[in-house]
Amino acid sequence: MLNLYLFQILNGLGLGMIYFLISVGLTIIFGLLNFVNFAHGAFFMLGCYLCYALLAATGQFWLALLAGPLAVAALAWGAEKLLIRRVYHLPHTFHILITVGVALILQESAIMIWGPIGKSIPIPEALQGVVAMGKFAYPKYRLFLIGFSAVIGFLLWLLLERTRFGALVRAGSESTEMVSLLGADIYKLFSLTFALGVGLAGLAGVLSGPIRGAHPFLGPEVLGIAFVVVVIGGMGSFGGALAGGLLIGLVQSLMTTIWPEGASLMIYGAMAAVILWRPYGLFGRA
Amino acid sequence: MVPLPKGVWGGTTPAVLAILALLPVAVPSATLATEILIFAMAALACNLLLGYGGLLSFGQGLFFGVGSYLAALAMIHLEVGLVAALAIAVAAGAAVATAVGWLAIRRTGIYFVMLTLALAQMGYFLAYTLSKWTGGDNGLLDVPRPPLALFGVELASLDGAYAYYAFVAVLFLAVYVGARRVIDSPFGSTLVAIRENEARAAAVGFDTRHFKMLAFTLSGAVTALAGALYAMLINYVPLDNVAIAMSEHIVIMTIIGGTGSLLGSLLGAGTLVLVGEVLSAIWPRWPLLLGVGLILLVMFLRRGLWGGVESLIARYRRRGEAAE
Amino acid sequence: MSAYILETRDLALAYGGFRAVDGVSLRVKAGTIHSVIGPNGAGKTSLFHCLTGGRKPTEGDIVFDGRDVTRRPAHARVGIGMARSFQVTSLFQNLSVRENLRLASQGRDGDRALAFWRPVSAGRAHLERADRIMERLNLSARANAAAGDLSHGQQRVLEVGMALCGEPKLLLLDEPTSGMGIDDIPVMTKLIADLGRDHTVMLIEHNMGIVMSISDTVTVMSRGKVLVEGRPDAVRADERVRAAYLGEAG
Repeated sequence: MLNLYLFQILNGLGLGMIYFLISVGLTIIFGLLNFVNFAHGAFFMLGCYLCYALLAATGQFWLALLAGPLAVAALAWGAEKLLIRRVYHLPHTFHILITVGVALILQESAIMIWGPIGKSIPIPEALQGVVAMGKFAYPKYRLFLIGFSAVIGFLLWLLLERTRFGALVRAGSESTEMVSLLGADIYKLFSLTFALGVGLAGLAGVLSGPIRGAHPFLGPEVLGIAFVVVVIGGMGSFGGALAGGLLIGLVQSLMTTIWPEGASLMIYGAMAAVILWRPYGLFGRA
Repeated sequence: MVPLPKGVWGGTTPAVLAILALLPVAVPSATLATEILIFAMAALACNLLLGYGGLLSFGQGLFFGVGSYLAALAMIHLEVGLVAALAIAVAAGAAVATAVGWLAIRRTGIYFVMLTLALAQMGYFLAYTLSKWTGGDNGLLDVPRPPLALFGVELASLDGAYAYYAFVAVLFLAVYVGARRVIDSPFGSTLVAIRENEARAAAVGFDTRHFKMLAFTLSGAVTALAGALYAMLINYVPLDNVAIAMSEHIVIMTIIGGTGSLLGSLLGAGTLVLVGEVLSAIWPRWPLLLGVGLILLVMFLRRGLWGGVESLIARYRRRGEAAE
Repeated sequence: MSAYILETRDLALAYGGFRAVDGVSLRVKAGTIHSVIGPNGAGKTSLFHCLTGGRKPTEGDIVFDGRDVTRRPAHARVGIGMARSFQVTSLFQNLSVRENLRLASQGRDGDRALAFWRPVSAGRAHLERADRIMERLNLSARANAAAGDLSHGQQRVLEVGMALCGEPKLLLLDEPTSGMGIDDIPVMTKLIADLGRDHTVMLIEHNMGIVMSISDTVTVMSRGKVLVEGRPDAVRADERVRAAYLGEAG
């Protein structure tokens, strides 16, 4: 019994780290660009499919793990140059509208290329099987998922806190003029940040592929979860995305043992509870 | 500035009457005409929130779905008639929308939008979880379309496509006229004031939360009515009725038509339903074109179709004046 | 009935360790113009936020017209007779001057404006009040212009007029001349003096010159506390006031 809970807690951590990667991307973009990306879930979905396609073509998971997120980021970079930057100055409604348009294009393109029915993705050979710890056994891939995303999270934190790029992003969140004063090319910074944020969603998609598979209609569901995380953790906050992501992952995972059909429902229940208790999120201030 | 309409029966109402009369002959089928009016109703309700209150809600699909499910369940399990089923849907839609509004308006701006979307997702998973009642993924089948009856007296069968169209058209007209009254009421004008400057609206004495919540209540009631009518139109409630895609659909119609004008909502719903009908027959991946269309709209037609029509009229008038 | 319409008792507002308002006890006599002045950072604006409900004081009470209003939200202060203007013009920019004032009149009735079944035109009293105040503000000629299209000086006047529509017992004006050109300031000064004849006015000002001519009582704040209070001439002559302002200049 206790093992079952340990199992679910580890599952929840893995799930939570996926949610963290998605939401932190959303949050970085919002923090610097004051832009809400409603295509974020669709880019995640694309990550899942790239994982599938690259694995099917090459059989190399490591290649998929590297090339998948980079491809998603490159696409986002192009979309930012071509479309997104033209609407920064408009109200949020137009940000939402244009990214809903992008999401529809991605979703329908995925159906055109890979068909309307989802694809399951095999777990890479090197990570198949379980790790045994005494009587307790846990799937290798899921353990890898937790460790790998933790490393990515740490690298991201270093990038944001310890590099010039991170300093510029943080300065830009306060005031974009400051970035210009610091002598940086603000447009380049915007493109890179958008690509980075979306690339993180792509990475989350690739990582979750072998567990959940790829499905063309994943976008809206993932977007909903990302919103829950940032409503709980606060937009523009690295720690908030981590705490919110883990909380939601754990809630969903533990609920699976108690009430499997209602697990997804409880994510939103948890959010409603947090909003009732603290309208500005766990770390937010009025 | 929003001009004050001249009484609810003047202004654009005659134009709406004409459209209602011509629609079933202008489009390929009465069923399609009915669908246009149902979504126009939903867009109208969305417009009250977005165009007048400045509240972008992604909860509209939830209210639509609540109307669909509740009307259908009441007819199937309680064997209630048409009027009672619609009344139940409207009451439930109003109640759910008030609750969503109450939670979502605790935050403003983008958090508010995200909250409405997340709460709508909650409704989706609730419908999914309660598959014993809703049919889950398979949808709720065999939704009846009872005859129009009052106090046990049957007035008209609605089985025919045209008869049902007429019934929906009458309801649409009532909603349209009602919406114009709401906009021209102290409440409607205060809603516009809150959209314009919430801090000032509070400073002159309005408890802005109450106004936003009432906007949700009214919007939810009308959207649920549309949902119930839709379930009776297609005799079925797909799970998609409560999905985010439905919310997006309603919001897109509203914005394509043009916010801040009720006629725009009819225009937006008509365009999207018709284009969808035509294109989906040719190419099932037509939503891709819708995506392209949305991008073009943001780039070139930010005030929506109605806004475009208005600038055309203005340009034409200017030319006329110049010629004189 | 006390002669004082507004009283604060040991009012304090702290942001973390910093006490922006630090134990202020004020009494505003009904029917007077009472100004609060002080150098930048004296705590005037924070005091104003507490009085209007923008911020909840961390200590002390505010009593208005015999009622404790310390924790009352901003919108609920209008109905009992408090109305405010903003330091930075805050109007319904895209609505007409008349509609701005009509909405402000309607605000006095609070939730009664929730009536969604009634036409706006039925609220005759609001329209009449709006027109009356428009007349008094000398804005009738611009009745149908969008508020955002008025000149800056006219917008400042309308800003004060919005508060007037609540038919308040106490008008709280936050630096009404802020951002005004040198030519417009006398107009505003005259308007406030005129309003002072039938209202109690509490004025927050940075500019000492303006308030001296029209105020009955002047309170000088410095570093969150009341430094001096008295009649304008007495305050003007006070050494401590000079020092506080000189300190700012230096």
